[in-house]
Amino acid sequence: MNSGSPVKFENVSKRFRTPKGTWYQALAGLDFEIKAGEFVSLVGPTGCGKSTALTLLAGLEQPSIGSVKVNGSEVTEIDTSTGFVFQHDATFPWMNVYNNIAAGPKFRGVKDYDALVRTWIGKVGLTGFESNYPHQLSGGMKKRVALAQALINEPTLLLMDEPFSALDVQTRSIMTDELVTIWETTGSTVVFVTHDLEEAIALSDRVIVLTAGPAKVKADFKIDLVRPRKARDIRFTEEFLKIYQDIWSVTS
Amino acid sequence: MAEEFLSEAAIKKNRSKHRIKVHSLQLSLAVFLLGSWQLLADHQILDPFFYGRPSGVMHQLGVWITHGTSIGSLWVNAWVTFYEATYGFLAGVILGIIFGVFLARNPTAAEIFAPYIKVSNSIPRVVLGSIFVLWLGLGSVSKVALAFVLVFFPVFFNAFQGTREADHKLIANAKLLGASKRQITLRVIFPSALSWITASMHVSFGFALIGAIVGEFLGAQRGLGLLIATAQGNFNPNGVYAAMLLIAIMALSAEWLITKMENRLLNWRPTQVSGSEL
Repeated sequence: MNSGSPVKFENVSKRFRTPKGTWYQALAGLDFEIKAGEFVSLVGPTGCGKSTALTLLAGLEQPSIGSVKVNGSEVTEIDTSTGFVFQHDATFPWMNVYNNIAAGPKFRGVKDYDALVRTWIGKVGLTGFESNYPHQLSGGMKKRVALAQALINEPTLLLMDEPFSALDVQTRSIMTDELVTIWETTGSTVVFVTHDLEEAIALSDRVIVLTAGPAKVKADFKIDLVRPRKARDIRFTEEFLKIYQDIWSVTS
Repeated sequence: MAEEFLSEAAIKKNRSKHRIKVHSLQLSLAVFLLGSWQLLADHQILDPFFYGRPSGVMHQLGVWITHGTSIGSLWVNAWVTFYEATYGFLAGVILGIIFGVFLARNPTAAEIFAPYIKVSNSIPRVVLGSIFVLWLGLGSVSKVALAFVLVFFPVFFNAFQGTREADHKLIANAKLLGASKRQITLRVIFPSALSWITASMHVSFGFALIGAIVGEFLGAQRGLGLLIATAQGNFNPNGVYAAMLLIAIMALSAEWLITKMENRLLNWRPTQVSGSEL
């Protein structure tokens, strides 16, 4: 299907013009590669440039130096085989749950999407809320809509930018659990940005630790925890704590 | 402190009590104002020759309805003004939206047109009425044109701003979900600009009526504006007030219709105070 690895950063730097006219450098020589079907978390201090790395992958921005490749070819524009779950709510407020989730198939001209949409509404546990508008939903429910909206298009690469950071602790751990369960059935490659180390370990096959901005790779950990996982329970195992301590010692 | 929640019936009763209070105070205010006007005029403190009086206004309306006006049937004249305003309004709204969204989506075009738009917006538009009467004659077309220019700019600026302010995250999300540029305009930009656009529509029907009436002042064969001008020429203040009353009824009905339509189009928004309740 493709010649290269699903995600490859080659010596990527990115700078932005600030409103004051000065330059702000977000990335400084970011260099890493991800294998097909891997769930990788990028962790690092707030504002270090993790999200910038994702916007480059999605094609929303271009790197200033270096190249970002998805499936062997350089990302120059938005690629619709990439799914994106935003940090803040990006559901369409004028569409109800059904239409929000159906948005991708409708935009792409898929016919007979009804059964597919209903399946996804069921998978994310929103059956019965089809005709609710986003403002009538809780934060967790909106995230479920966003998740289904991205996953219904069967992206080969799924990018998630601190998707659960705005949720309360309990909802967050429930959503983490559900994400693992759903993802294990899809097999897409995932890049997950977070500043929550625990969340990163519970979800991932690999955790890449970035330095404070401008970001480059500081350390790269393989997470050898069993799959299928129960994210909520695995946090209390000894292996988990061991990995947590290892990574923690590097970051601090 | 109450020990229990109020029952549904008690809440309803409280609410209707409040409503009766407000309505009766509103009514008393109207009775007081109109009554003092009538009394002052009856005792010649306000000269009814210049200031008219409520009974005179009602009489004038009665005469117009039963015998017609000096320029023909009252309904024909009201209808003429109404459709001039409506055509001008619809044309202004539709073109305002199209131009506003188009320019906001095409920054280069916006840059090119910006000075022209600024200049044409700075002309007091009512003076264009004279030009339109010269160009388009005394018929309805010149009034529609004046109503149109009055409506076009506010709708245009709101559509432009609404489009500019559309959430970039939502646009990025739509792109990633596979939307084409056209789909983004229709399914993302337009709905998010819609609350800006409907807000401008509330004021702009009033502008359309101003356009139609001022156009009729400047030269017309029919319409409420001409009726007002004729009444003014005959030193008939009651005639001016009577025509004003009809125009107010027209404006309020249009406002009611626009609010209905707005609530339908924007039913996805959290409930909020709409224009008519302010």
